[in-house]
Amino acid sequence: MKKRILALVLGLAMITALAGCTKKEETPKPAESSATPNSDSKKEEATDGKNYTIGISQFAVHGSLDNCREGFLQGLAQEGIVEGQNLTVTYENAQADTGTAGQIADSFVANGVDMICAIATPSAASAYTATMKSNIPVIYTAVSDPISAGFARVDGTPVAEITGTSDKLPVEQQLEMIRKMLPDAKSIGIIYTTSEANSEATVKEYEAAVSKYGFTLETVGINTTADIPLAADNLLAKVDCINNLTDNTVVQGLATVLSKANAAKIPVFGSEVEQVKNGCLAAVGLDYTGLGIQTGEMAAKVLKGEAKASEMNFELISECGLYVNKAVATDLGIKLDDAYVGTAVESFDEIAK
Amino acid sequence: MGIIIGVLEQGLIYGVMALGIYITYKILDFPDLTVDGSFPMGAAVTAALLTKGVNPYLALLVSFLAGAVAGICTGLIHVKLKVRDLLSGIIMMTALYSINLRITGKANVPIFSNETVLENSVVNSVFAKIPVFQNLIVALIIALVVKFLLDAYLKTKSGYLLRAVGDNENLVTSLAKDQGRVKIIGLAIANAMVALGGSVMCQQQRFFEVSMGTGTMVIGLASVIIGTNIFKNTKIKPTTAVLIGSIIYKGCVAFAIWRGLKATDMKLITSALFLIIIVVTMDRKRKVKGNA
Amino acid sequence: MLELQNINKYYNPGTINEMCLFDNFSLSVNKGEFVSVVGSNGSGKTSMLNIICGSIDIDGGKILINDKNITRMKEFERNKVIGRVYQNPSMGTCPTMTILENMSIADNKGKTFGLGRGTNKARINFYKEQLKQLNLGLEDKLNIKVGSLSGGQRQAMALLMATMTPIDFLILDEHTAALDPKTADLIMELTDKVVKEKNLTTIMVTHNLRYAIEYGNRLIMMHQGNAILDKNAVEKAETKVEDILKMFNQISIECGN
Repeated sequence: MKKRILALVLGLAMITALAGCTKKEETPKPAESSATPNSDSKKEEATDGKNYTIGISQFAVHGSLDNCREGFLQGLAQEGIVEGQNLTVTYENAQADTGTAGQIADSFVANGVDMICAIATPSAASAYTATMKSNIPVIYTAVSDPISAGFARVDGTPVAEITGTSDKLPVEQQLEMIRKMLPDAKSIGIIYTTSEANSEATVKEYEAAVSKYGFTLETVGINTTADIPLAADNLLAKVDCINNLTDNTVVQGLATVLSKANAAKIPVFGSEVEQVKNGCLAAVGLDYTGLGIQTGEMAAKVLKGEAKASEMNFELISECGLYVNKAVATDLGIKLDDAYVGTAVESFDEIAK
Repeated sequence: MGIIIGVLEQGLIYGVMALGIYITYKILDFPDLTVDGSFPMGAAVTAALLTKGVNPYLALLVSFLAGAVAGICTGLIHVKLKVRDLLSGIIMMTALYSINLRITGKANVPIFSNETVLENSVVNSVFAKIPVFQNLIVALIIALVVKFLLDAYLKTKSGYLLRAVGDNENLVTSLAKDQGRVKIIGLAIANAMVALGGSVMCQQQRFFEVSMGTGTMVIGLASVIIGTNIFKNTKIKPTTAVLIGSIIYKGCVAFAIWRGLKATDMKLITSALFLIIIVVTMDRKRKVKGNA
Repeated sequence: MLELQNINKYYNPGTINEMCLFDNFSLSVNKGEFVSVVGSNGSGKTSMLNIICGSIDIDGGKILINDKNITRMKEFERNKVIGRVYQNPSMGTCPTMTILENMSIADNKGKTFGLGRGTNKARINFYKEQLKQLNLGLEDKLNIKVGSLSGGQRQAMALLMATMTPIDFLILDEHTAALDPKTADLIMELTDKVVKEKNLTTIMVTHNLRYAIEYGNRLIMMHQGNAILDKNAVEKAETKVEDILKMFNQISIECGN
């Protein structure tokens, strides 16, 4: 019995100790918090001097999702709701465990937050369930398909006090961009993970749209990152360019795809800014920080009482920017249309190492 | 208050799953990883049925049966094809991932607007005055029913044989019984209970997510080890101890969240806690060796 | 009647370590015989028991019980008519189950293990009587887990459990070897009593030459997969421990040990 008590005590002591160490980092304060009292009062004026609490429930640790979260706080700040001043943020990460996501949402509701910001579909669904019996609004982001996830009706109107932004890829704009960059290309290749529902849905969209832009589509389904080298070899033999989605598994093995493609002098297009930084030729795609900002702006409207969550339809990314990596183009010997590149939101002159 | 109710609720629901793991780990002495697939399988079956308008109680039953089938498959792989226990579970777990996607057709299925065993017109009217405790009480009833049924089963002849096979396979053979078959039955019951837990979890969180099974084994194992070790030399039945263990585990998670623990450290802390409990309460199982 | 006909058994067939244990080995045991089997290590005693029970497969030959060919029958099926006690006392009981529960499952051998109550309360008195015969006081500890009993107590229970239901053969695999001399004597006496009472056909493998001589009505000595000595009841009655010991030494010299 003694031993058992000891174990319990040790275990608890450990948690407490670790909690003690990390407590201070719970709400990392952004630079704005050191702003002068002058600007402080101005901001408070803008928000009727109210203080808000938001619980952010993020599903997993993932670069894009982290960007979303940072963007969300930026978006709120732009509307005068600044963390550390008139906003208290509790951030929790479910570590890709839906059970934990549920507990996080429950704890937010129990603590009576003014709003839950849910990042990724499972967290959003947990938050929605937890808030069903309260009137806490849920703002989500990085949800690919809010309609099939049950947050919105077919016409885009929210089913309850829940709305947000979708990270659905702009398929048509991407195809248009590829056509402009590679006027002679005939076929596009896509590697995707068969178990990722988002990727499968996106591939279907590409299948439906490619012919309109004069392409044919070759796809290879994989199960794990270990399948990527073979899949890439297979695909590179058949296509004029590769288009990379936001498929989590493939993104992890993107370096493999890029090195094989570069060796074969075949361009790889990306779907978000990070991928272009890392060596994809170009992308018309998502900037998750931008998506987060857009979400933050929606959240601010709800917090200020300008609109109810149930009155706002979910939004797609409003501006899909063009991202180009000039260094990649030089490596591949592709001549870029300067006028077109000029329209890019951001262009990179080197490949991130 | 809300957090405590949440912990009890989730603890009891995961407790149903942990009781299944109690069978495989403690009784059968079979480290069964199938559960990482059979837990979401229960949820997948439930989500698929509820969206088709099937009665949620019927969905519980179908999930239970689906889990049993998964357990039987693991058992057959192990017993008939002579694949090692751990590998049999891994094979089934991997297969179930695809099967679960097949069952639902997509990775995330919401059942926000459907009636569930926790919330339907009948239950709602019963708990009209205390809606806060509704989910908790329903979860408690389900967990207790499963616990009592399991207790009763373990006292039957078939239950005796199941306990004997984990203790001493040899004796089961001596009793002129096919020990392989007893193992398959045990795995079927265990995974059926895990799937039942998955079904209730799905109805509580109101969506199915293909990844929701990841780590089921760890949660279940932690619950079993915490529960059975804390109440080792007491009169409390191991099945009750497992349910309490599950609540303690969920309590620890809630405590970690409440203390604002860095999310990235959570798994490390879970495993550290786990290790401490195992080492300090080490009871090396006296397992009877094969043939003399 | 148990017959082993022309048994062949190889270990590690097809490899460099191939070893032939039995080459055309035959043996028959008649109903009511109590056979003591002695022999040096590796002579094939335990393998013979395993072959009879079906724990290991054979490469050639036939096994018959009462003229019925059981060569292809699985181990657990053969156990319907066979009771076996092992050298290791924990092999015959379930340590985490209570004495009562152990007795109950043994009592149910040969019947279906369904969803009925595991312990038949009406049988408890019968179990107590059985345990009382052991003179170990176990009849008062029905709800104690078998794992907490001593090796001797467990072996006594194992013997009781193996012979509780009607069986044709009792297989004793060095069942006193792991016990201290006093307990071993006790178990051996108990064995003799049970065998006589139930008139069981018994094969006992033992390293204890005294037991081999003292108990049973047939004596076999195994060496390199053959029965090099087979004495019936009359011959056995005249055999002394020294005679057997002498033979042992002779074999050892031949083997160069």
